[in-house]
Amino acid sequence: MKKQILYATAALLVAILAVTACGGGTTPTAAPPPTTATQPTTAPEATTAPATTAPQATTAPSGSATKLQLLGWSSSDAENNLLNTIVDQFNKSQTQYTASFDPSPNYDQALQTALAGGAPPDVFYVDSLKFPDLMKNNVLATPPANAIQDPDDFYPSLKAAFTANGTFYCPPKDFSTLALIYNKKMLDAAGVKPPTTWDELKAAAEKLTDSSKGVYGLALSADAARWVAFLYQAGGTVLDANGKMNIDTPEAKVALDYYTGLLAAGYAVTPDKVDSGWNGEAFGKEKVAMVVEGNWMVPFLKSDFPNVEYDIAELPAGPKGKATMAFTVCYGVPKNGAHLDGSWQFVNALTNKQGMKEWTDLGLAMPTRKSLRDGWVQKFPNLKVFLDGADYSHPWQFGPGFTVVTDAINKGIQEIAAGQATSESVLKTVQKAGEDVLAQ
Amino acid sequence: MATTNIAGQRRQELIAGYSFVAPALIILLVFLFIPMFFTLWMSFRDWSGITPPAESGAVGLQWYERLLVLDNVRRTDFFTAFKNTFYYALGVVPTQTVLALLLAVIANQQLLRFKGFFRTTFYFPSITSSVAIGLIFLWIYQSGGILNQVIKAVNPAYRNISWMNDPTGIIHNTLAVFGLTLRTAPAWLTETNVLGLTLWQWLSGPSVTMTALMMLVIWTTAGTMMLVFLAALQDIPRPLYEAASVDGATSVQQFFSITVPMLRPTIFFVVTLGLIGTFQVFDQMFVMTSGGPAGTTTSLAYLIYRAGFNDSQMGLASAISVLLFLIIFTATLIQRRIFSDRAVA
Repeated sequence: MKKQILYATAALLVAILAVTACGGGTTPTAAPPPTTATQPTTAPEATTAPATTAPQATTAPSGSATKLQLLGWSSSDAENNLLNTIVDQFNKSQTQYTASFDPSPNYDQALQTALAGGAPPDVFYVDSLKFPDLMKNNVLATPPANAIQDPDDFYPSLKAAFTANGTFYCPPKDFSTLALIYNKKMLDAAGVKPPTTWDELKAAAEKLTDSSKGVYGLALSADAARWVAFLYQAGGTVLDANGKMNIDTPEAKVALDYYTGLLAAGYAVTPDKVDSGWNGEAFGKEKVAMVVEGNWMVPFLKSDFPNVEYDIAELPAGPKGKATMAFTVCYGVPKNGAHLDGSWQFVNALTNKQGMKEWTDLGLAMPTRKSLRDGWVQKFPNLKVFLDGADYSHPWQFGPGFTVVTDAINKGIQEIAAGQATSESVLKTVQKAGEDVLAQ
Repeated sequence: MATTNIAGQRRQELIAGYSFVAPALIILLVFLFIPMFFTLWMSFRDWSGITPPAESGAVGLQWYERLLVLDNVRRTDFFTAFKNTFYYALGVVPTQTVLALLLAVIANQQLLRFKGFFRTTFYFPSITSSVAIGLIFLWIYQSGGILNQVIKAVNPAYRNISWMNDPTGIIHNTLAVFGLTLRTAPAWLTETNVLGLTLWQWLSGPSVTMTALMMLVIWTTAGTMMLVFLAALQDIPRPLYEAASVDGATSVQQFFSITVPMLRPTIFFVVTLGLIGTFQVFDQMFVMTSGGPAGTTTSLAYLIYRAGFNDSQMGLASAISVLLFLIIFTATLIQRRIFSDRAVA
């Protein structure tokens, strides 16, 4: 106990130093991912639904029940309320534990300090991109036998994202994929059909662009989480089959030239060019006719831009066929958690067939269990494209420390767009960055 | 008898003295010295920030080697951040010092009416939350924002600058006017690699976005510095000016021959504070740009934050912190030398 306090103090001190050394004034919250399932963009949360920090009160804890804390992030009140409904059901279903959802605006810092301090939350969100980092530090508990109901029911690619050394560590809570979302009226007016290939996408974007009116075909942010989908469509990869960095390839150059070419030609714009914080806002303001975004767009458009008529199509196929990205989050349980038994019960209640059905039937997120697919598609037929993406998606996950590499990609795309670098030099830099990180 | 009495009194005074400073001392110890040495220690370890620190392994000088010697992504990131911070300090410190001095002289005029109003106005940005100011400036700097609209009203030929998303360096842009770009620059500029960046990249100057942040910061901090100058101005004895006017000195002459020399210690203080503050700049990057576009507003302090909390490399973050301390320490020493030399001359 004493040791724990010591660690907690030490971690706190470092955190304080790290923050206070960085100049006076309080620092605000980091922008949390603006969606239910993960959305690894840099979209500032101010432009999407306002983030809430106040967790909704769940049922009053009964006297003797052990408290369980679920640490995560949040994008909207709606999402908090829905998740709290599910949490409440768990609390009513048994008397031993009282769980509460605790969305943190500074999720990364909160989780890291709690883990280092030796007093981790009982359950926490784990983003697929960060999973390798947590595994490298060996902080996740191995689930006991039967803790996860019917693990083979999860989509293989999503299950693989949270599997290491043959162990499936944590069940994915839900997932999102990328698709092409287009403005019906604008496409009809220009006489354009939803594009299905790269060439068609380029032609459509050109036709839809009217820069004199400040309207463009496509919003494309300088964002690795979008470009990597094009990379896979071109037949490229980030890592090869042996886990080695393999991005400096002709296929990657094709993808990078195509992506930045759309921007250079002026058929696509970064959202800031049309006074928007992220692609979705540009689309909602009808400054662009198409965006490459995920199912988080649906609740966003419904609440912020209810009058925009849109439809959803698969991402256009590249030279080597279809591909999209899958972003997912799992419920992780820490190795040194104080109530492991309760944690696993809680996780199972959230992700077993019944729990996941209730959560995903609320319409914010897509089920990660194959057995729920048909029922969900019936309920939300307009979102079928996103769910179908699971079949040809690649997980948003590479190796430990890869935020440095995705940063390098973001930076490279911006530099090319500003005419300050070439695709060859950027791919070389990214390749080198990946090798350095993997060698570390 | 008398000696023991004095000794006893001494001891009592000692105890009283130490107990008076104890609260401050303890706070300093807990919140300053312990974290400082903890950071130094951590910079020699591979602590991720996820597991308890005691479980981390010793890595010796590895982080420093990666940051300073080996050709790898950490060194490139570090020197990119160093370059960004250096240009930032180079632009902000002199400008804010001169501006603060001018504002102080204006607010100190004997004949000025509504003196209180001006002082408050000049000082106001400094006491407003940097986050609030950051968010408001995000609006102003939008490509359809007020700033662009005002410029456009004055000059219809103006093409909107996206202030918050323009990674081009202002020295690069100036060179481009004379036809020197990445494509036309000689090979020795674009090929020579110094510490992970090409000479061409070193020469970029602050990016347009960084310049926008610099303008904002100058506007907010000049008020604080003005207050310091104002206090010092009021300490300059009036007779000096009276004697000077009797001798026929103009007010410009008085300013450069009396005011500025008398303010030398204050200028040193203001420049030192400015240097430290600019090298540690963090808030604006965190709130407004997240270090972008293309990493051109990633300051050293913001890089520390990214390394520690996004990248889960507290050891690396600690090593950068130590280097940042050394940079600030050196900069302050150099600047002290410059000022004291002038004082002798």
